[in-house]
Amino acid sequence: MLQISSVGIEAAIGATPAVSRDQLLHQLASLTTPPDLYSSLRALTQYVGASHYLLARCDVLQDNGLDFVLTSDWPFYIVKRLTVESAATYARTSELEKCLQLFQPGFALLPDDLILPDGTSRQYCAMTFNIGRTRLTLMLLFREGFILSADRLRDVGLLAGYCVSFRQYSEGRSERDFELTDRELECLFWIAEGKTSDEIGVILGISRNTINNYITSVMRKTATKTRSEAIAFAVRNNLV
Amino acid sequence: MSSASKMPRIQRFSSRSDLFPRLVAMQKLVDAQNFAVYRVGAVGAGKQRILLELDNLGAPRAADAFVDAYGDALIEHLDKSLLPLLWNGIDESSTAETADMVSFTVRLRPKVLPYSGVAFPVRLGAVGNGYVVFTANYLDLSSGLIVELHGRSCQIMMDLLALDEKRSPAAEALSDREIACLQLAGDGRISEEIAERLKLSVHTVNAYLGSATIKLDSVNRIQAIAKAIRLGFII
Repeated sequence: MLQISSVGIEAAIGATPAVSRDQLLHQLASLTTPPDLYSSLRALTQYVGASHYLLARCDVLQDNGLDFVLTSDWPFYIVKRLTVESAATYARTSELEKCLQLFQPGFALLPDDLILPDGTSRQYCAMTFNIGRTRLTLMLLFREGFILSADRLRDVGLLAGYCVSFRQYSEGRSERDFELTDRELECLFWIAEGKTSDEIGVILGISRNTINNYITSVMRKTATKTRSEAIAFAVRNNLV
Repeated sequence: MSSASKMPRIQRFSSRSDLFPRLVAMQKLVDAQNFAVYRVGAVGAGKQRILLELDNLGAPRAADAFVDAYGDALIEHLDKSLLPLLWNGIDESSTAETADMVSFTVRLRPKVLPYSGVAFPVRLGAVGNGYVVFTANYLDLSSGLIVELHGRSCQIMMDLLALDEKRSPAAEALSDREIACLQLAGDGRISEEIAERLKLSVHTVNAYLGSATIKLDSVNRIQAIAKAIRLGFII
């Protein structure tokens, strides 16, 4: 993905639409009771001058249908196509790079053979953020020739994060760590630090056989075949 | 293959002290007395706690009271939300107010500390997560100010992480073979399977995994895999 050039941003600021940040915040505050992600994102999309939004999880395997899409007003056939492509991009970047990309807008092109709504730019804007262990991506479509303001994009990313957090908070939802027990997580942590079952047994004051049982149980719950894979799974999912 | 060579950002800061002026500017903007940057770190046994990274609190143990009072709440919050946290101090007049952002902020237990404050959570991903905190006797936070400071807080945490990574690169770059072996081992393959896949002998595979373990300053291959993922050598 390309980073937006700062020259283009400066030029566009004078031409951005008339809603101010304060007005937007006022608008969002009035929307959030009861929580309504759809209207909130609609308001954010208008504020930044984009035409369509798509909010999706980008940290789960993309081959089980479209349930990783939280909300969207993109035409369905574009959603379906794009999520496959962005899954491939996601897998190619390292975790550290992802950590350094928080709220950084990136621009990419939709596939050439996709028929877009009239006047829509083939370029789209995407930025990622995290709510707890969930990594989300907000993708925006906009009119051809329109240049999004970097300041407004930053506001929109953050506020989209607020809206999702708010909804999750009011639902009292907090993801359980793949149903692993505290003891199992403790074992995973020490294994990732390079400790053997014997050593962990000493640290936790229990027998090595018990440790091995915990690990077997972890591998069963996470559907992993070896200890190495179980640790890789735990690191990838921020469990340790 | 090193993650540094793929890094798209330009490094603008060479040391932590370069972050201070920016934090002071933020502190002035919100009219606070102090700032502090905390990160969530593992301290053994799968337990996390928040650790002080940068501050202008003055006294060496000044952050301890804050960590004792709110540490657990901050860690729990960071696991589910991006909303800024506010708290009121012990004194009646020591409050952190926001008139137009009530629904997008969360309140910590009041009357625990002698000062009020605001904490902006920043969740980058697997590493570098934490809070940028401003404290004062009284804070009046408009919605615009909150969004502005939170945006800048995110940038601070990213720059802090980028600085750390620059300071501690893997001692030697891993070779392509070592990375390939680590990747397959992390995908649950045993040495025999890796050997078959890469058309090598089992002994060679084990040797590659061994050298990768040494380069990653690890004691065994499992720790090496954990580190390699965190450092971005494998996915």
